[in-house]
Amino acid sequence: MASTDILVVGGGIVGQVAAIELAEAGARVTIVDAASNAGSTANAGSLHVQMQSRFMRLYPDQVPKLEASLPFYQAAAEEWVALDAAHGPFELVRNGGLMLAESPDQLAFLEAKAGREARKGLSVEMLDRTGLERIAPWLGPQILGAELCRDEGKLNPLTVNNRLRTRVSALDIRCVTDRIGRIDHAGSGVTARGVSADYRADRVIVAAAWGAGDLMGPHDLTIPTRAEPLHMNITEAGGEQIRHLIQHAERSITLKQLGSGQVVIGGGWPARDRGRDAVPGVEMMSVLGNVALAARLAPSIGGLRILRTWAGMNTVIDGASVIGSLPATDRIMMALPGDAGYTLGPLVARMVAAMMLGRTPPHDPVQFAPSRFAA
Amino acid sequence: MPDFSFDGRPVPYRTGQSLAAALTEAGIRVFRQTAKGAERGIFCGMGVCQDCLVTVNAVPNLRACMTKAAEGLEVLTQVAFADLRLAAAAPATAQARILEPEVLVIGGGAGGLSAAIAARRSGASVVVLDERRVAGGQYYKQSVEGAPLDVQQSEGAELMAEAQASGAEILGAVEIWGAFDGPLFLAEHEGAALIARPRTVIVATGAYERPCIVPGWTLPGVMTTGAAQTLWRSYRTLPGRRVAVCGSGPLNMQVALELAEGGARVAMVAEAAASPLAHPWAGLRMALAGPVLAAKGLTMLRGLRRHGVPVRNATVLTAVTRTKNGLLAAFRTAKGRQTSVEVDALCMNDGFEPQNEILRLLGADMEYDAAFGHLRCVRMEQCETSVPGLFAVGDCAGPGGAPAARTEGRIAGQAAAARAGHGDAHDLHADQRELRRHRRFQKWLWRLHSVAPRSLADTPPETILCRCEEITLGQVREGVRTTPGHVGTLKRATRVGMGRCQGRYCGSVSARLVAEATGGVIDDRSHFAPRVPVKPVSIAAILAAQETLDGLD
Repeated sequence: MASTDILVVGGGIVGQVAAIELAEAGARVTIVDAASNAGSTANAGSLHVQMQSRFMRLYPDQVPKLEASLPFYQAAAEEWVALDAAHGPFELVRNGGLMLAESPDQLAFLEAKAGREARKGLSVEMLDRTGLERIAPWLGPQILGAELCRDEGKLNPLTVNNRLRTRVSALDIRCVTDRIGRIDHAGSGVTARGVSADYRADRVIVAAAWGAGDLMGPHDLTIPTRAEPLHMNITEAGGEQIRHLIQHAERSITLKQLGSGQVVIGGGWPARDRGRDAVPGVEMMSVLGNVALAARLAPSIGGLRILRTWAGMNTVIDGASVIGSLPATDRIMMALPGDAGYTLGPLVARMVAAMMLGRTPPHDPVQFAPSRFAA
Repeated sequence: MPDFSFDGRPVPYRTGQSLAAALTEAGIRVFRQTAKGAERGIFCGMGVCQDCLVTVNAVPNLRACMTKAAEGLEVLTQVAFADLRLAAAAPATAQARILEPEVLVIGGGAGGLSAAIAARRSGASVVVLDERRVAGGQYYKQSVEGAPLDVQQSEGAELMAEAQASGAEILGAVEIWGAFDGPLFLAEHEGAALIARPRTVIVATGAYERPCIVPGWTLPGVMTTGAAQTLWRSYRTLPGRRVAVCGSGPLNMQVALELAEGGARVAMVAEAAASPLAHPWAGLRMALAGPVLAAKGLTMLRGLRRHGVPVRNATVLTAVTRTKNGLLAAFRTAKGRQTSVEVDALCMNDGFEPQNEILRLLGADMEYDAAFGHLRCVRMEQCETSVPGLFAVGDCAGPGGAPAARTEGRIAGQAAAARAGHGDAHDLHADQRELRRHRRFQKWLWRLHSVAPRSLADTPPETILCRCEEITLGQVREGVRTTPGHVGTLKRATRVGMGRCQGRYCGSVSARLVAEATGGVIDDRSHFAPRVPVKPVSIAAILAAQETLDGLD
């Protein structure tokens, strides 16, 4: 049985950043990853800060938690800037995000939302059509106005994943492909039981996103992690035009242009869950609906072609992240971002790494304690 | 002669010619610039490689090989990043048309047309969708003007006439981009959307050519043998004045002879396999299984000798470089010596890859054929796949040649019609006997050629593997080393296969490199996951399909 100081379960954005932090501090670290359906490998690269209207619509009961998390999102965006400086460049651009309104009702919704967000310290501003003409003249003529959130941005997850993997490798962090089914702790350490082998460690970080809930059986916790298969599209390259991250006040969409000139269209259209070992399938109505909506909001992309569609797993919990030790033992620490896991990933990872090293985490974890799920 | 303009300069064309053919005839080889500043031109000639892009009347990224020349068109060299303000000028599309035939045939070549005729005879309603403007497929490729060149073309013309007379609706210039359970197909047709909801489907999408992946294979002037053949057979355009042909297989000999007869100076046919005299038994068995085709082969060889075209066996392409006046193609001969020829156009065909994207998308079971290095669709007696009501005929299920495709088409056409309630498809014994004979011929034919996928062990690391994203073999090997496991992981790490052709040339090679490294077996899942769109599709066409389907609810 292999033994290590710290075992990280899950090798996505959270697991990699946590492993890098700990290894840089001198720990012997092993990452075990199931190598299927990781959200980070399918992510579309939005840097979210303002409350996503999609989430508010789908999970209204979780809005208070989401609103309380706003400063956390802002800090997470700053964390990305720091990560980009340390391990980038990731093609990270922070030109802000526009949430569009097509009706007076939507405009009113955004105005109220912007007010709440401003009170939480976000840099937001309402723009009317004239204001939009100055920064995004290519928007469809039906757009009445938008909320601009200056903290938002975009990046290229493929580049991020590559650069972090290079760093992981340079730090001699051991990477194993296996699926952990259970984690047991005893006085002397922790044993994570995988399909191929058991792994012993002094401590474990659970960064397994939607798969984390299933590992909580022996620990009297019910963390309602749920995989949400989502659809994405990418176009051929065009000249640079769309500088912002684009969203909508009522409808599900994110739209951005990457450094490659390609436009990525996503934002929460459903894909078909085909089990944990097969990648989710693409639904016809999602391709049509998502792309058609994008073309109506940004007619200038109408002449481009869609090159590819894909689907990946988003993780939904209860609207807030789960960060910190289990009530029963501090040998097992949870590192689960709430919604917008990719945006929150680096900050969540660094908080958990700091807590494990006995340092002060870069953000107060108290509101994210796993104990809220104790039986 | 009428003309269009290319970068402001007039280019004459003959009616029916593609932009690619007219440009080639005018001596223009460079159609576009890549993101890394390289030059590209016509390569596959059949809409697969997506490399011959041009801007036409301000609409960017159109394939010159699939676009018809027309008076006054303003054609521009395609830049890597099309101006989105120009792209916005793309015309709005009309309401989508909905087709609901009992039998939908995808592909109008030898197999598809035969299937359509058989299904119509049984009484089913039939629609044939073909990507090209003029059906006929790659084997029967039809001439856009003038009388048929030879027996092969007139045979194709007869088949087309028979299909048209059968009452099947045949639609050309239809690009199918989406295949979904139901089945339901989404396509783009001359800028408008098409939706097909058939009872049964016969996929007859054929094959495309496997290239010789060597340094310089992306240079303008290097093209597939089939592309050169289309230029000549469909448009009476020579790919160049001086030509060489390389790879392996009977198409290379045939096209070399056609080009020589058309007036090109064919400097060499390099065949990777040893001389057929080294395999007398296979030659004899092939001749017994298909005496007519075997005789055709011998006639071809005699014709090449008459035109003074040297056929070099056991000779393989090693590199292509640019010279002042054209291209220098370097070869390694049987005795390990280097030789080279200077040409205007280098044609390559190193075997075929089945166009099985639609079959894979719909979930048809595949088997890896290690001898040929590609996936074959698993089929039952009557060419039905593992998906009920989904049939596959011809080369898309695994290359088997046009005569076999015709027979399979007849079998599947009757079977699909029977599935839709027309006839019983019991009387297929004669066709099945004939099919066995065709397959016997093919089996021995390919023993005379070199069909196994080429080893890349000696290929220089700077050789481009992924044409679209311009990813080298070295980068892919490094990716295999640092991100072991699966070709999908390799794709995300290196961008191999992420481009516009969707991995059609680098996909099978990448799958093999991953398998070599992991020691795993190759199967359907070793390849890039099948995804819509099957071919890049305009957002305008998606918008039109969405509006139509929305209106149906």
